[in-house]
Amino acid sequence: MSTQHPLTTPLIKENPLALRVLGLCPALAITNSLTSALVMSAALTVVLVISNTTISLVRKLLPSSVRLIVQITVIASAVTVIDQFLKAFLPDTAARLSVYVALIITNCIVLGRAEGCAMKENVGTSILDALGNGAGYSLILIVVAFQRELVGKGSLMGYQIFEPISQGGWFPENALVTLAPSAFFIIGVLVWVIRSWKPEQCEKPDFEPIPLPRKEKR
Amino acid sequence: MAKDSPIRALLTVLVTAVVCSFFVSASVVLLRPIQLNNKLLQRSGNVLALTGLLPADGGIEDAELLDLFKGLDARVVDIDATELDSEFDPYTFDARKAATDPELSVAVPPGEDVASLGRRSRYETIYFVWKNGELDRVVLPIRGAGMWSMLYGYITLESDFNTIAGVMFYEQNETPGLGDQIAKPHWQDKWVGKKLYEDTDEVLFHVAEGPVAAGASGAEFQVDALTGATITANAVTALVRYWFGPQGYGPLLQRLREHPPQKPGASAGSES
Repeated sequence: MSTQHPLTTPLIKENPLALRVLGLCPALAITNSLTSALVMSAALTVVLVISNTTISLVRKLLPSSVRLIVQITVIASAVTVIDQFLKAFLPDTAARLSVYVALIITNCIVLGRAEGCAMKENVGTSILDALGNGAGYSLILIVVAFQRELVGKGSLMGYQIFEPISQGGWFPENALVTLAPSAFFIIGVLVWVIRSWKPEQCEKPDFEPIPLPRKEKR
Repeated sequence: MAKDSPIRALLTVLVTAVVCSFFVSASVVLLRPIQLNNKLLQRSGNVLALTGLLPADGGIEDAELLDLFKGLDARVVDIDATELDSEFDPYTFDARKAATDPELSVAVPPGEDVASLGRRSRYETIYFVWKNGELDRVVLPIRGAGMWSMLYGYITLESDFNTIAGVMFYEQNETPGLGDQIAKPHWQDKWVGKKLYEDTDEVLFHVAEGPVAAGASGAEFQVDALTGATITANAVTALVRYWFGPQGYGPLLQRLREHPPQKPGASAGSES
């Protein structure tokens, strides 16, 4: 563990989205605008910090038979509180994120870090780990959302950068990029780029292919 | 007590539940007033956008917006009884919630349910806009199923209860770039001046199958098609036909034409 730092390792080396492919559903759904991606990133990071801190504080008191119940309860409460705050102070963005804030409860990154880090490490390390994983997830969301909003609508955070054709400009809006499947392509390319740069992330094949039997002549 | 004893497990879960529910309830209760205010602000903006009362440059403070909204003559109308007043407060009545309440809603007969509503509220909040003592416009809520989502919007009619003065869809989730054009001003602007009815109470208004040539026969009842969004366009036609047909506001509008509404406070005689 000497080369691992809880804050920087999850950025690229062990990125929760690019390496572990966790939290893909919201990443597809909300990255069509940069504002949504930023708010979602902030919400997930705050939830991660709250859950990792709480779980780490009580980790020695938790009977292992009910630890998952306690973890999920803490996560669900944190998510509900954040959701209420967003609805009160950022109503427009909250309406666009719709159910995806509430669905952070089921985001495997949060439970994964609670179980994988906060149950073992002290509070300081757990907070750093939460911030690192939050930043790693946010990084991918922001990169994807930046491309999707710019190519799809010619705008960034709602400000028109390129004048689209439909409003008399020159920029051809790409409707495909505003649809969820395009995030698959962009994340796929990102994973490819990261794994070419860090080949140790490539998974070993589960089995060696059996050589095909030679075709017999009829 | 042993760490893994059942009693300890039970206690742990109990304490977690109590502590967590405290935080959740506190946040819900404390933030509720702000959230309700947001909703009211949003509704004010939506309704006022169609009244012609907003400043043209769009710059308006929240407090001013609320004042303007509260200044509107809002009525919760009983659609089927064509009653203009009911016991509900127009600022708190929620027709969307009422549509799921058996007491306050009616089932739409399947044959008539072109907008795929299932049930609809018996009451809707409508807004009269008065200008110099004369009725200027009336804002009516509309809704219906689109291709992917429910479409929620408002239609404003001139005081003849026939000419469209404006339309807006404030909530929809149609295909980006195609169906979601219904929420864009460049398409909504084309509705202005179009007519719903000719002489009968049959709704003639519809979204055309292509661009509408000015001066063509029936052009006053049509708006341009939405390229690549036939299903959404048909849904819009269907919901307008439903809401302004005999199952929707049709009878109410008929009555309003025969007995024009009174400005509140202008005379003692109320509509009955």
